[in-house]
Amino acid sequence: MKAITFLTRRRGGDTWHWTDVVTFAWLGFGLIIMFGPAIWLVMSSFKSPAQLAEFPPTILPYVSETVEVPVKGTMKELPLYTVTTEGEAPRELAEVRRVGIIANMVDPADPETVIKVNINDRTPVRRVGLALENYAKPLRDFNFGLYLWNSVFVTGVATIITLITNSMAAFALSKYDFRGRNAVLLLIVATLMIPISVNIVPLYSVVSSLGLLNSLWGVILPTVATPTGVFLLRQYMLTIPDELLEAARMDKASEWQIYWRIILPLTAPALAVLAIFSVVWRWNDFLWPLIVLSRKELFTLQVGLNTFAGELNVQWHFILAMTVATMIPVVLVFVFLQRYITAGIAGTGLK
Amino acid sequence: MISNEKTTIGAVLSAPVRWLAEAIDIPMRWWQGIAGRPGMISFFLIPNLLIFGMFVLVPLFINIVYSVTGGTELFLSDRSYVGGAHFNRLLECENHFNPNSCREDLFWIALWNTIKFVFTQVSVMIVFAVITALILNGKIRARAFWRAVFFFPVLLSPVVVGLIWQWMLQRQGVFNFILFQFDAQAINWLTERTWAFGAAVGVSIWAHVGFYVLILLAGLQAIPRDLYEAAEMDGTPPARAFWRITLPLLWPNLLVVIVLALIRAVQVFDEVYVLTGGGPGTSNLYLTQYIYEVGFASILRNPGLASAASLIMASILVVLTLAQLGLTRWKDKK
Amino acid sequence: MGRIRLESLRKSYGQVEVLKDINLEIEEGELVVFVGPSGCGKSTLLRQISGLDRPTSGNIFINENDATNVSAADRGLAMVFQSYALYPHMTVRQNLAFGLQNAKMPKAEMDERISAAVEMLEIGPLLKRRPGQLSGGQRQRVAIGRAIVRDPTAFLLDEPLSNLDAELRVSMRAELSALHARLGATMIYVTHDQVEAMTLADRIVVLRAGKIEQVAPPITLFEKPVNKFVAGFIGAPNMNFLTLDDVQPVLGNVGVPAGATMTGIRPQHLSPAETGLDMTVTLVEALGTETVIHGVLGSGATILVTVPGHVKTSKGEHMTLNVDPAHLHFFDADELRVEAA
Repeated sequence: MKAITFLTRRRGGDTWHWTDVVTFAWLGFGLIIMFGPAIWLVMSSFKSPAQLAEFPPTILPYVSETVEVPVKGTMKELPLYTVTTEGEAPRELAEVRRVGIIANMVDPADPETVIKVNINDRTPVRRVGLALENYAKPLRDFNFGLYLWNSVFVTGVATIITLITNSMAAFALSKYDFRGRNAVLLLIVATLMIPISVNIVPLYSVVSSLGLLNSLWGVILPTVATPTGVFLLRQYMLTIPDELLEAARMDKASEWQIYWRIILPLTAPALAVLAIFSVVWRWNDFLWPLIVLSRKELFTLQVGLNTFAGELNVQWHFILAMTVATMIPVVLVFVFLQRYITAGIAGTGLK
Repeated sequence: MISNEKTTIGAVLSAPVRWLAEAIDIPMRWWQGIAGRPGMISFFLIPNLLIFGMFVLVPLFINIVYSVTGGTELFLSDRSYVGGAHFNRLLECENHFNPNSCREDLFWIALWNTIKFVFTQVSVMIVFAVITALILNGKIRARAFWRAVFFFPVLLSPVVVGLIWQWMLQRQGVFNFILFQFDAQAINWLTERTWAFGAAVGVSIWAHVGFYVLILLAGLQAIPRDLYEAAEMDGTPPARAFWRITLPLLWPNLLVVIVLALIRAVQVFDEVYVLTGGGPGTSNLYLTQYIYEVGFASILRNPGLASAASLIMASILVVLTLAQLGLTRWKDKK
Repeated sequence: MGRIRLESLRKSYGQVEVLKDINLEIEEGELVVFVGPSGCGKSTLLRQISGLDRPTSGNIFINENDATNVSAADRGLAMVFQSYALYPHMTVRQNLAFGLQNAKMPKAEMDERISAAVEMLEIGPLLKRRPGQLSGGQRQRVAIGRAIVRDPTAFLLDEPLSNLDAELRVSMRAELSALHARLGATMIYVTHDQVEAMTLADRIVVLRAGKIEQVAPPITLFEKPVNKFVAGFIGAPNMNFLTLDDVQPVLGNVGVPAGATMTGIRPQHLSPAETGLDMTVTLVEALGTETVIHGVLGSGATILVTVPGHVKTSKGEHMTLNVDPAHLHFFDADELRVEAA
């Protein structure tokens, strides 16, 4: 409740102006429409297939209560139902088996007596609970562990290469004067806006002639020379005073040491922004991996999830669970690094 | 005594990094000794330029070659020159407003769909973004939290976005449940042409609007508060303050944002592809998907045709990009 | 050892010639100040010596070895930058150690050198701080410390005091002077502030438009400026330049040197008298210890006078000024000094 009063407190005045009403209506609407789908997804991902098929749906995930009952000498885990037959008080019975529309049920307290009940007279006993097998099964049986590893590999390697090559190029382009520098800069700015979707056909043939089809390197390499990264880092490096480099040169530092020990530490804020973006970009990449990778064991999480959703069109409980799993890293990045991301975007117009 | 520096965790962690740098420095100094500073400049530039040339410049060149050569082969030497045949095929129409009269009807369907999509999506999204940014710039608490609420979907992957909404919009989904609560007829959100287009637009707005809210909010926050205080002293009503102060000062930002949104909307593909697969029928077939299908997926695979189509799309993007660069320059001058 | 010799040094950027035929010899242990108006090339000259820039032609000798093509790192010089150029991500100690580490100096010797410099500059308490946490004066000390630990052949200082406030500048100036006396090292100091130049220098090099106008000890520069530019640049307030006609009343029986067309009189050398130049006062600036009086002569030429203590006069009043003829400077049509016969 404290959180609600904090979020709704107005800055000025104690009276409600009509603009306050509009503001809160809009923000409330925004909260539901922007956050609602994700929450709905997470809730749904913990529901059993039977519960997902229910209409009307419940908000929270439930699991059926079971009870251990001795049947013919052995203990068995049986689902529990509330049975309401006419003229009798509702009682909780366990179902032994079902024949047509008649269920054979027993009272857990008196497992010997079989009671025959019409299936329309009973409703399952449920409590809030999570259907964790939605997560366990795909991770175990449908290669999702492998997809996850592929995605982590692609994201990690591509980000590291991006940071190293982009920062080296940005260093050369910001701190040295050489013939052709403006030509290189012009080239980079000119291609800043060429999206991969324009180049996919020839890029495919380049990657194919390099023998990188069906290789994670074929996914990684075309994405790492982002002009955006070079541009962003260069702009930042331009603000580092040249006198620092000269001081380092007087201090007998080699050019490599200047890059490694002076420039890189001082560019850390911009590198962090680029790293965060690179992780999000590479994690989310879809079209290009879809084209390059056709062998299942090489799929990234996004391609795997899409294929999985296509194959298992009705098995929503698995699809939803894997969607949540795919979303988790990005949500973590968002929760912990939101400040840097928003500052980075507002400052550079990067996305 | 000055050398009693305590060993901190940071020092322990940085030791291997420093050691690595020192180790790399040995060949680097040797190389600098041989090639001098120009040699080092090339060393810094080459990795990036190599990758950049290989995967951006070379494909750009091949794209042009592809668009004027025919066949299904990928090797340039296996392809025969066909001149402007692909462009003719793409552009030949009896009536350009009626895709069915065109030789390559799918291209024109995709083109018109894209145009329709771009205009609906960008206009609705920008209005929504401006209103949200204005509200977030108002006198509210916890601005960072609300900004995060609207920004959150921007980071989600297109596949996740597509699947979330497919789940929400399916026949037995939560949207139809809400309609059901109001005793309204259930809607086939994803399988009826009009609704499916609306769904694609809506989902795409949901996924991207936060980005524009963020940029516009930064623009609004850059407007000095004292302007509004001066206006208040002059007794300016809020609506007038919006039209005469906020809008003119936000305008340069807004223009840039609009062009940026246009550029991105033209490339619409992934979340809509996951959401509807481009369907029902061709109602959500857009240019990128057309290129993808002609280039890779379709049985009538034709790289030349796909390249020609992507060059047409690129020319649209180039015009928009030039507009954007021009506007940015104009904005910076202001 | 710290002898530096410049021979016919030239530097051009494209068509623009920034340094024109510089010849200069700096003795060991000398503190030489490069002074001149902004854009005169003094910082460029320092950068050629440091090796951060290479001259277009000419040679630089350090201890009689041709260092023209030796890189900055290998010239054995240390530089204190105008902005200090301390590495912002390193602590003070790391800043001091960086250059020594690059030279692969053994740790023991490194520690020894650092503690010596730290003691000399009294920056011990600052060692673990980063430059961002230091005041301007402290940064200045660290920057000097970074130069000292290198034990360089010569120190190059590029306007090192220009980022400090006036009060601190005076005290740092005194410290620098003491430091030079203590280290006995060769120092080259660039400034546009003539007071710094006068107080610090063993010799001053006055530069204008890329050319050396005069090289001399401060007092020589003050008493015998070789031309009108140097005469006007050194000394505050600026020297009065008057035509021979203007100063006729005070020339008396002083012999005007042949060729002289103009005289220069320092404001300090004029004093109120019974006879002499007749001046109408236009502005009086009472500074307490001295009074600066602005005025015009009958010819319309403006003139400045500084008189010790307080003088009762005000705008519109007349004053008569005299000057010791020994303090008169004469310049010819080319603005060069001509000595009285």
